[in-house]
Amino acid sequence: MKIQTFQAAQTYSAAKSALRTNDANPASAGKAPGETNLSNPTFDSVHALTKAVAQGEQAALSYMTSDADPHSVIEAIAAAELAVETAVTIRDKVVEAYQELIRMPI
Amino acid sequence: MADSFGKISAQSISGMRAQAYRMQVVSENIANIDTHGYRRKLVSFENTYDSTARADLVQVDRVFLDSKPGAELFDPHHPFADENGYVRMSNVNLMTEFADAREANRSYEAGLQVFRQARDMYNSLLDILRR
Repeated sequence: MKIQTFQAAQTYSAAKSALRTNDANPASAGKAPGETNLSNPTFDSVHALTKAVAQGEQAALSYMTSDADPHSVIEAIAAAELAVETAVTIRDKVVEAYQELIRMPI
Repeated sequence: MADSFGKISAQSISGMRAQAYRMQVVSENIANIDTHGYRRKLVSFENTYDSTARADLVQVDRVFLDSKPGAELFDPHHPFADENGYVRMSNVNLMTEFADAREANRSYEAGLQVFRQARDMYNSLLDILRR
């Protein structure tokens, strides 16, 4: 296994670019120098999450400003809620695993 | 969302939307029950494939008029009376409209229940990770 010194920083910058929602093509979003694993399932799920939340917000906004269909608003917000709940649950699990490692006596 | 829960929500929402439209047509019919010459509207649904949700949804196919003629009422002094003194009433039957409204309401509730059930299922799936 190749251990890189600044791997954490690199992964962080890649994740930062992956979080940009206004990019039309998510595959070309994170063309940062160095290694950026673009088919990473983590980034894909982060993309799906941010997209769902943005769609939910957009639906709520259009419902307030114009006469949008309430069913579409409920659908978008429920999808966003589901996505956020999934992300939070997985994050909690990952943090829990990390803390498990931290507590390991060396 | 391409998973089955996203599809279920899209499908149940499309069914609820269709039933809400049906209720709207029923309300229109009831509102026009005393309109002379009004013919009641009927809704038909059709199955459609939605490419964004990648699921089979329901949508309103068309709205058409009931061809049954309304009852004729003898009222020679009415401004809409024909040369024989008859006025054509609307062909709306309140009983039929109430039955239709009830049916739309029940189908809407069924769609709502499917939506809730799918969410509960997904939440219990997540509960495995939460412990």
